[in-house]
Amino acid sequence: MNKVKKLPLKDIFFGIISFSASFLVLTLIFSVIVVLYKESSLAIHKFGIINFIFTEEWDPVKQVFGAAAPLFGTVVITILSLTLAVPVALGIAIFLSEVSPHILKTPVGIAIEMLAAIPSIIYGMWGLFTLAPIMSEYIEPAIQKTLGQIPLIGKLFEGTPQGIDLFTASVVLSIMIIPFIASISRDSLNLTPDLMKESAYALGATKWDVIKDVMIPYAKLGIYGGIVLALGRALGETMAVAFVLGNRHEITTSLFDAAATITVTLANEFTEADSDIYLSSLFYLALILFVLSFIILAVAKLFLLKVERGYSR
Amino acid sequence: MRYEEKYVKKRKIISFIALSLSTAAAFLGLFWLGFILFDVLRHGISGLSLELFTEDPAPPGIPGGGLRNAFVGQLEIVFFAVIIGVPIGILSGIFIAEYARGTKFARTVSILSDIMVSVPSIVVGTFIYAILVKPIGHINLGGVLAVGFLSAMLSLVFGSILNFFVTNILLKLIKLSSENAVRLLNLATTTTTILFGIFLFVYLLPKLVDKIQGFNGWAGAAALAFIMIPVVLRTTEDMLSLVPWSLREAAFALGASYYNVIKDIVIRAAMTGIFTGIILAISRVAGETAPLLFTSFNNSYFTTNMNEPISSLTVTIFVYATGPYEDWHAKAWAASFVITFFILFVTVVARYIIHLKYKG
Repeated sequence: MNKVKKLPLKDIFFGIISFSASFLVLTLIFSVIVVLYKESSLAIHKFGIINFIFTEEWDPVKQVFGAAAPLFGTVVITILSLTLAVPVALGIAIFLSEVSPHILKTPVGIAIEMLAAIPSIIYGMWGLFTLAPIMSEYIEPAIQKTLGQIPLIGKLFEGTPQGIDLFTASVVLSIMIIPFIASISRDSLNLTPDLMKESAYALGATKWDVIKDVMIPYAKLGIYGGIVLALGRALGETMAVAFVLGNRHEITTSLFDAAATITVTLANEFTEADSDIYLSSLFYLALILFVLSFIILAVAKLFLLKVERGYSR
Repeated sequence: MRYEEKYVKKRKIISFIALSLSTAAAFLGLFWLGFILFDVLRHGISGLSLELFTEDPAPPGIPGGGLRNAFVGQLEIVFFAVIIGVPIGILSGIFIAEYARGTKFARTVSILSDIMVSVPSIVVGTFIYAILVKPIGHINLGGVLAVGFLSAMLSLVFGSILNFFVTNILLKLIKLSSENAVRLLNLATTTTTILFGIFLFVYLLPKLVDKIQGFNGWAGAAALAFIMIPVVLRTTEDMLSLVPWSLREAAFALGASYYNVIKDIVIRAAMTGIFTGIILAISRVAGETAPLLFTSFNNSYFTTNMNEPISSLTVTIFVYATGPYEDWHAKAWAASFVITFFILFVTVVARYIIHLKYKG
């Protein structure tokens, strides 16, 4: 006779099934890298890594492919949209945690989160049919008349305002990522212990002093986490950008020019790739994007885990 | 005025300006939401009609027709995505929250799926394209995988029935004296199961593979399922860990097996949360376009056959909105209207349920 009671059969059975499910999830995640690497190996061997990243040419006819232009577009749009989104999102977070009257907190919070629920293709449609005309008629000429006159910065705003350009795409993207930063920052701000805030008030601090010197330093990690998470999201966003960017494989100095990002290139050209090396180069782009965003999202997760651990102590 | 008073006044003014700016930011956020929703409403409602849901598209450039194919295709793809994604998500969520609670394995899966929630969906599309759409030589890797999955599942069922028979009936009839004999018997059962699985795989492979070629609805459903799995997994894990441990202990004390505790206690307690998580995951994938572009592709004809390219609302919106015809634009807006308000409605309801259950 066994002294220790054996696990019941159904437990073994259910344990095995649920284990294989979670093992499948793990396998799937790793197989993304393996499969993308395998599919892009042709392009990796032909173009190399450094060479591929720094080649601007993208010519399906001559079968020469380089990732410089889409990478450049991706980086510019990501940075620009973060620059536009971070101040607004932090403002919203501060409003929701400190300024807003109590009854408004939940509805405004839900409304901001609804921004995140709108599918990205709707942002794209709206950007193409509504925002792009407004941009090309009013906002971009106005920017050219003011900022465009300054000698060095003026270079950024050259050319005919088309509305289909880096700037419009960044604006659309910034609206999309506002809710991610705002809701994580709000949650972190809300975690500040009341005792700390009250001590600061007791010393005669104004509300802004408390926010700036007590709450934001306390919530710093969470806010970083939110921003990096939004960065990861912005890198991989496809449809919101695909409508308003054109698909032009050139590195431009002007924000009012059409450009390409990795995602837009994939969306537009994947089904049209007619040669193995073309398809393989597109897979290579996807691999670069996956690795980039995986690293960035892992960093974001690291920040947020630190926050969790810090507060549970 | 004394210096201190001036200083206080300055700080108060700065505070006022900063707080006003933050209020303005909140209004800006609300303004964008209102602007987008109003625009979708304004353009979309004029395109809405009964024909939109009941008729198939007219030939390009000719006004009229509807988007029945896209609505049906979308429902079909999402339905199969749910069928594939939800069980895997829930099962693995249960495993890492219960059996593997606190282990390194559970943490790894949990963190990785958290990252996968935000991974670019278009990359998922390329991944699924590589395994389910692109044929490799004469055989289709996706077909091989599907057959492998199927035979693994079937042999699992076979193995458990065999195991049940051996342990509950055979061992009771003949009393085996030594423990080694029992072990040998177990080994025999396992080997039979594995052989059965291999036999099934070899037998089914030529029958099922090559039926699916090129873009197909299954690939679209698989891509959406891939996006759903981490979402469902994480919600399940979170909701299960909210169930107090003492509840489980009470059940253990009554002599219940862990399986029964999970089935009858934990899952019941966390049911609302898991259900809401599934709803949110559905609303998340319902608006996905990028992963469908090169998996289920597009089809301007009505079809319910998942082995063929199949039309979906979101891809149709993309094609119609970038197309040259006014009529197409109107249809794209109408479809956007339907999809946006469906998703927003579902999201708000789900959030309200969570609010009632966990905060109220």
